[in-house]
Amino acid sequence: MSSSRKKVLLKVIILGDSGVGKTSLMNQYVNKRFSNQYKATIGADFLTKEFEIDNRLVTMQIWDTAGQERFQSLGVAFYRGADCCVLVFDVTAPNTFKSLDAWRDEFLIQASPRDPESFPFVVIGNKIDLENRAVTSKRALSWCQSKNQIPYFETSAKEAINVDKAFQTVAQNGLAQETEIDIFNSEFPEIKLDQSRPQNDSCSC
Amino acid sequence: MTNFFNIVSGTSGVWTSDLSNSEAYQSFRANIPLRKIVVDSDSSKQWTLYDAGPKEITSPLIFLPPVSGIADVFFLQITNLSKMGYRVISLEYPIYWSLAEFIYGFIKLIDHLQLDKVHVFGASLGGFLIQKFAELTSRCPRVQSIIVCNSFPDTAIFHRTDSATLFWMMPPIILKKLIMGNRSSVIQSRDKTIQDSIDFMNERLESLSQPELASRLTLNCLNCYVEPHKLQKIPVTILDVFDKCAISERVKQELYKMYPNAKRAHLKTGGDFPYLSRPDEVNMHIVIHLRQFEGTRYSPKIMVKPIVDLSPMALENGSTSKSTQDIDEN
Repeated sequence: MSSSRKKVLLKVIILGDSGVGKTSLMNQYVNKRFSNQYKATIGADFLTKEFEIDNRLVTMQIWDTAGQERFQSLGVAFYRGADCCVLVFDVTAPNTFKSLDAWRDEFLIQASPRDPESFPFVVIGNKIDLENRAVTSKRALSWCQSKNQIPYFETSAKEAINVDKAFQTVAQNGLAQETEIDIFNSEFPEIKLDQSRPQNDSCSC
Repeated sequence: MTNFFNIVSGTSGVWTSDLSNSEAYQSFRANIPLRKIVVDSDSSKQWTLYDAGPKEITSPLIFLPPVSGIADVFFLQITNLSKMGYRVISLEYPIYWSLAEFIYGFIKLIDHLQLDKVHVFGASLGGFLIQKFAELTSRCPRVQSIIVCNSFPDTAIFHRTDSATLFWMMPPIILKKLIMGNRSSVIQSRDKTIQDSIDFMNERLESLSQPELASRLTLNCLNCYVEPHKLQKIPVTILDVFDKCAISERVKQELYKMYPNAKRAHLKTGGDFPYLSRPDEVNMHIVIHLRQFEGTRYSPKIMVKPIVDLSPMALENGSTSKSTQDIDEN
């Protein structure tokens, strides 16, 4: 029965420069869709995806942001409770790679996680389907290693290369970060449910 | 029927909880007038409401409270969203004893306020009522979009459908027990903001008269369920929490299945009343939900500078004490 399983909400935030493919990565992962048409993201939006890992029901809430709002505070509510942050750059555009430092700092300042050094990031070098590559894997890997061994993936949102794999790592590392929420109420173990009623529904006041 | 049990009458105005004494609440009460409107032939049936934001907007976001709530339980939405340019109206139910009476009354209220199609945020009972309202007005739609918060699609989940017809004669103490259910008032949350939201709601519950309590509980429990196929054209956001809340996992799943295309705005925590305990997150989800109507005839907000429009950063401003000054300036 599903209700005996542990249920977790994972909040994932995708950051990176405008046009690197943040929305495309999210759409490819959640909807298995890709559109060649570029449309700038306005504000922030999210998609949810459910899956199961280790007998736990995971609902991943993936937040896509507007790359153009760089360095502008999106507010605490947006970052609150993030479990993993995905930093995206375009392997054909060196500037977007150079911005990763700033995006990482921006996240750490805004989200202010309890332990910034161990907070899970994942770096994605997107658009490997294109031929004019300008950032080498070696260069990207060395940056990731210098930042406390951030996992690095090279993807193509267009051709669905490595996208699932990257998000699997996001899920695993995010789960390690997130504390579990038992559906049946770990917060108030002293309260017993009324046995005569099959469900935990009171007249919700 | 006389109001035999009507010992506690209406809102006393003397609140003692932390949230009621907060600067944000005091500022809300000082700045936004409480209105009372009668649309029925029976003048004792009175709608109570707060109406904030630009009056030229005819598709506002309307808030419907849960059983124990009164119009001020959405004060953090009213204050902050109106500052961002939205017209927001928070309602409190007249003493209506049937769904038909509610639907008839709500249509009259919309007409009285000269509104076009409206957006509705319904919490718990409010969410159920707006689903039924949208379903039963589907031929002549009055609802443009819906946000349901910790709500349900079927009153059978409360297992009270048999006794619902007798609520009118029950004393307040029994009715309050029914509302609290197995979440007795002894429950303490370790989270201060959730505890504050419970205290705030308990205070409102205590202020309600017997007919108010009994009529809302009757609406909440009379045998009735939503037929979702009549709501397929209406954009829906389902807002719920992943921590302890009166709505069970089974009911949540039922709601997801009924609205497969709904946006699912989950909060990690927030308890039963996230609009009080997690106002900035709830407001952010409201803004995201309403963004799809911007620039259309049914937009609930006036156009201001796009940068303020589109960034959730604006949400933050309202929850701080700065909000007081901003409202005063307006």
